[in-house]
Amino acid sequence: MDHIIHIEGVSKIYPGVEQSLRGTKLEWKGPALWARNLAKAARLTSSAAPPVSALNNITLTVHPGEVFGLVGPNGSGKTTLIKILAGLIRPTSGNGVVAGISLDHPQEIRKRVSYVSTTGWMGLEWPLTAEENVRFFASLCGMPTAMSHTRTEEALRDVDLWEDRDKYPSQLSNGMRQRVILARALLFRTPIVLLDEPTVGLDPITAHAVLDLIRGPLHARGQTILLTDHQSIEMEAIADRIAVLGSGAIALMGTPAELRAHLRHLTVIEIHTEEMELPPGPPPESVVATAYTERPGELEVRAWRIHGRRSDTTLAEVLDWVTQPTGRVVFLAESTPTLEDVLALPTDVRQVPDMPGVLVGETTVPEHTDQPLCDSSTDIGATGADVGSSACRPPADRVKKVEAP
Amino acid sequence: MTASTKPSSPTGPGNAPTGTPDTASSPSRRSWWREAAALWAFGLREYRIWQSYRVNQVLWLTNLFVTTLLFFLLGKTLAGSAAQLLGPAYGTNYMSFVVIGITINVFINTNLSDPYIRIQRSYFNGTMDLFLLSPMSIYTPLLGLMTKSILDDYPRLFFTFGFGMLFFGATFNFSSWPLALLFTALFLAAGFGIGLLSASSFYLLNIKKGVEPVQFVVQQLLATLLAGAYYPVTVLPRALQWVACLIPHTYAYDALRRLLDPGAHIDAPVLPIQYALPGISPIAVDGLALLLLSLVLLPLGFLAYGTGIERARRNGTLTRWQ
Repeated sequence: MDHIIHIEGVSKIYPGVEQSLRGTKLEWKGPALWARNLAKAARLTSSAAPPVSALNNITLTVHPGEVFGLVGPNGSGKTTLIKILAGLIRPTSGNGVVAGISLDHPQEIRKRVSYVSTTGWMGLEWPLTAEENVRFFASLCGMPTAMSHTRTEEALRDVDLWEDRDKYPSQLSNGMRQRVILARALLFRTPIVLLDEPTVGLDPITAHAVLDLIRGPLHARGQTILLTDHQSIEMEAIADRIAVLGSGAIALMGTPAELRAHLRHLTVIEIHTEEMELPPGPPPESVVATAYTERPGELEVRAWRIHGRRSDTTLAEVLDWVTQPTGRVVFLAESTPTLEDVLALPTDVRQVPDMPGVLVGETTVPEHTDQPLCDSSTDIGATGADVGSSACRPPADRVKKVEAP
Repeated sequence: MTASTKPSSPTGPGNAPTGTPDTASSPSRRSWWREAAALWAFGLREYRIWQSYRVNQVLWLTNLFVTTLLFFLLGKTLAGSAAQLLGPAYGTNYMSFVVIGITINVFINTNLSDPYIRIQRSYFNGTMDLFLLSPMSIYTPLLGLMTKSILDDYPRLFFTFGFGMLFFGATFNFSSWPLALLFTALFLAAGFGIGLLSASSFYLLNIKKGVEPVQFVVQQLLATLLAGAYYPVTVLPRALQWVACLIPHTYAYDALRRLLDPGAHIDAPVLPIQYALPGISPIAVDGLALLLLSLVLLPLGFLAYGTGIERARRNGTLTRWQ
């Protein structure tokens, strides 16, 4: 199998959420609300809100054993994409295959996928202890009791929560709760593990530990991992390949090294000014994108983030352009662009210079082996447990060191 | 946090055989087993939660006694005059009459009202995400979440009957208990069908908060006023008696009282539909009506709930946290 996830032309348009509450006036209660909702249901739409396009024509291939990262700002479509792959929601158009199962059969997909979402209440049962929470999920998935005990202990030890296993979620810190959720994902050796922002809200040490966990036990089992995050730096350190999502479309995709090389011709200049007018003329030619935020007040603080072509003169040109006779520059920094910076760039700049292996809007096929790392023909449901480690081999050949740009 | 990079041992639990050897070749049996295991897990979870709040156990018993006592005292006050209204069909003991009314009301309230409430709570608590991500059938979490109410409400049957018989002079004829059990099962099935319709409104009609219309109309309005839980339907105007014939409660009350109340007659018609079908025994009319309602409402409820889930899956409103 040369791919474990392949989706083509997937789009998702939400007709609106929380329709019954949105725009509901106080007097719309009881029968008035029912009549309103019935009328809307009869029109096959239950929202007066405009539709929201969350994903737009996404084509993507993930290979067995790969750690694939999705990076993008809030609202870029990361969670929507991961929920489609988990079988939680259906795409509006497009098709695809997850672990050999068509997106048309979400019930079957769920047997082959472990999905961890750290948003909201995270699906924790608050009256149950950490251990009971993990074991409860094992039971829901049909894992035999003896195995669920062993696996629960293994999973809780992996996330360093065994000592706290008798604590209730209300007694655990936010980070510890997230680790309980992660422990649930460790119970099964499903071919695919989907992690939606596993490190969000965690302190740096715990976030690092979570990434170690992904790099360690999960990756070592040969499970294919697809994770999302806001932080591209973390992603670059862990992912074999990364896709940068913006406004529901893939802006850039490739290996971390490829993406960094792709961005090497750019530089990011941050300037904070006080009591300074806006530049009267257009930016110099070396500047490809500018953005600033203003803080109202006596000081008129303005924070610039300027993307320019890397050269010896760019910083000087930008300073000449921004600075005015009045006011002061209070902060100045030049840095290498991160993956999120791609989204701030005009499309033509994103694609210059051409880089082999880095594509915009479609997938690339990096090196991979013919032998599947995980056997997706077995699953949670069919075996009552998982694919079994014999079906997977550790992808040592996939582990790569991240080089500094 | 341990970040071991060693692969799972080939002899580890990941490779342990699971289930019985023949299950792999029998996907349907395997599937049923898995759903049953999930239901059992829900049951244990509910028991665990119930057990962890010790005050709840005391309050549960107190609440059970007080609510039952309230109805009995009310019944005792009205017993003399109310008994005259029972007619030949239901015997002469109003306490027996009202005990059945209370018991069935508790039963059906669980099956009919609980599905919507459980789905609603799970959705807003965020646990629905978890349930719908497991390989369970979409109906299993619904049934599993109802375990709490079943554990809470069904045992009331014994207490209500017990209190009625011990303290308030209610008497029963248990000679036809298998038939009574059959009628109860049909009634619970029909009620659960309505409960599924009620739960489906959560996703299908997006009624996420407030009063749910199906449950309100059937249980709070029609059943409470017209079905005859605390008084026979004969006290109602004829037109309303016909409306009462639209819901399963009416037939269940009628049939179970005929079967369990001492001195009751199975041949004396009470409901207008029983008068309209003189060639059929009234209790047979009850049975046929309950069977018909079960056969219609149960599949309709499953269909509506499944459609609601599918619609939510398409709209992206399946879970609370997007």
